[in-house]
Amino acid sequence: MKVSSSVDTVSLATPPRPTRRRPANGSRRLKDFAVRWGALLAIGLVWELAARLADNLFFPPPSRIIERFFELWLSGPPTTFFLTESVATNIMPSLARLLGGWAAAVVFGVLLGVAIGRSKVVGDYVEPIIHFVRAIPPPALIPVFFILLGFGNEMRVTLIAFAVIWPVVLNTIDGVRSVEQLHLDTGRVFEFDWRKRFFGIVLPSASPKIFAGMRVALSVAIIMMVISEMVGRPDGIGNIILGAQRTYRMDDMWAGILLLGILGYVLNAILSAVESRITRWHRGSREGVS
Amino acid sequence: MSIQATATDLLTIEGLGHVYEGTEPFEAIGKLDFTVPEGAFVSIVGPSGCGKTTMLRCLSGLMKPTRGEVRLEGEPVTGVPRDLALVFQDYSRSLFPWRTVAGNIAYVLPRDLPKAERAARVQESLDAVGLGEAGAKYPWQLSGGMQQRVAIARALAYRPAILLMDEPFASVDAQTRAELEDLMLAVREQFGMTILFVTHDIDESVYLADRVLVLSKSPSTIVESLDVDLPRPRDQVSTRELDDFVHLRSHIARLIRDQSMKGRPAA
Ligand SMILES: Nc1ncnc2c1ncn2[C@@H]1O[C@H](COP(=O)(O)OP(=O)(O)OP(=O)(O)O)[C@@H](O)[C@H]1O
Ligand SMILES: [Mg+2]
Repeated sequence: MKVSSSVDTVSLATPPRPTRRRPANGSRRLKDFAVRWGALLAIGLVWELAARLADNLFFPPPSRIIERFFELWLSGPPTTFFLTESVATNIMPSLARLLGGWAAAVVFGVLLGVAIGRSKVVGDYVEPIIHFVRAIPPPALIPVFFILLGFGNEMRVTLIAFAVIWPVVLNTIDGVRSVEQLHLDTGRVFEFDWRKRFFGIVLPSASPKIFAGMRVALSVAIIMMVISEMVGRPDGIGNIILGAQRTYRMDDMWAGILLLGILGYVLNAILSAVESRITRWHRGSREGVS
Repeated sequence: MSIQATATDLLTIEGLGHVYEGTEPFEAIGKLDFTVPEGAFVSIVGPSGCGKTTMLRCLSGLMKPTRGEVRLEGEPVTGVPRDLALVFQDYSRSLFPWRTVAGNIAYVLPRDLPKAERAARVQESLDAVGLGEAGAKYPWQLSGGMQQRVAIARALAYRPAILLMDEPFASVDAQTRAELEDLMLAVREQFGMTILFVTHDIDESVYLADRVLVLSKSPSTIVESLDVDLPRPRDQVSTRELDDFVHLRSHIARLIRDQSMKGRPAA
């Protein structure tokens, strides 16, 4: 059990984070920035050049993809902040089911993880089941969810939630099992009720692990969102990509892929920012500031 | 100010013994019998590893002793009694690293305490341990001695009727230590707390207490229980000069030395 859960803990999607925040001087920061974006720009230029030379229908130049990206989603009227109707009909539903499924998985995953991790009885009964169920690749369950929940939104949200709940559960179990015994004893001495114990000791202790699980869950959620949208009722970003590919609208397909990349990057950045605020104490206490 | 004969016994410890189970069971506490009158200040000294922390854990109801009984006002202690606080020896791991110093203290206060009073109590207790400025810091930003004082402040803010302290001044400097000793005497006067105080420092045990319990090595028993009849209020300089003080401390030092000599090959 330890082995498998630590695999999830070593998150797939750990973003490159500065391990230590130093008041970097202006030129250093500028250099960092230049290196990071310069590399991306260089790759973009090479790709652009290669694509233009090859002139292949399936590989349009990036400039064309970006142009199409703007046409599709950012050429609306000022009243809607330049967002087009496709944003409302395709991107918003995708985002909603992505975040909905993920959020549901986080809430239920943390509750389940706490129950399993803190109660021996629940743990003994439920943990083996969890390890079995999570071993099933979620896409294999799409037909089952079809039958149970139909072809629409419920199926997709459920599929996403089901796929991403496991890293949250396993990391939460790990986190709550490593709660400092002396913290719990302190809670007992000072008469903490269950609310104080849960929100004041167990949850904060486990929060670094829980966030690691949430990050893995987020990246898997995006994957599951796309997969779920390639089947069933046609809407969402996954459907745009698949539909475009089937009708040889390669610009649209690539614009959709670019959109997914941006979406994943931005969501991850937001989560990392929240995480680094909430678990600041964790890094601080481990660095041993004096 | 010595223990009055009329004072009622707050804590009664009867035949207390503890064996740590495991592949190699270890008998930490042999048999302890003593009582603690209400309002008393009892110091406990003994060699390292003799079971002082174990005893405090049993007294506080955190751990069930394998033998014997602890009674509080006649009632057997099963869980941690309300009105009891314990300052852990391992102070750094008992503070919550995700809360500020002030947050650590405020969090143990009862929920229904009005906000203003809560803040006042936090500040008051921080001032008392000389950390009035450190409220907004996190425990891990403080030195060991400062963390220890935060743990003490937290227990004081809780205003327990019974305060158990496990070597609370172990990592503070001599000057701060003297101040904290006098602080303990002052809060005891002010709030009428009953205090059980584990320490390695023999002088300190005598200076503070109405009674000193000297424990033997594991499995521990009480070697001697000494009443300390030094006048109060006590004073860091003049109390320590009294003949009675000097005699007591020498006597205890001898007891402890004999304890640690036991079991060693004769020189
Ligand atoms: N959980 C445990 N399992 C087994 N043995 C233990 C356990 N905790 C403590 N002991 C043993 O019990 C004995 C008493 O431990 P305890 O911590 O009560 O000593 P102490 O008097 O507080 O020592 P110190 O003065 O060094 O703090 C020690 O010999 C220790 O090795
Ligand atoms: Mg100890």
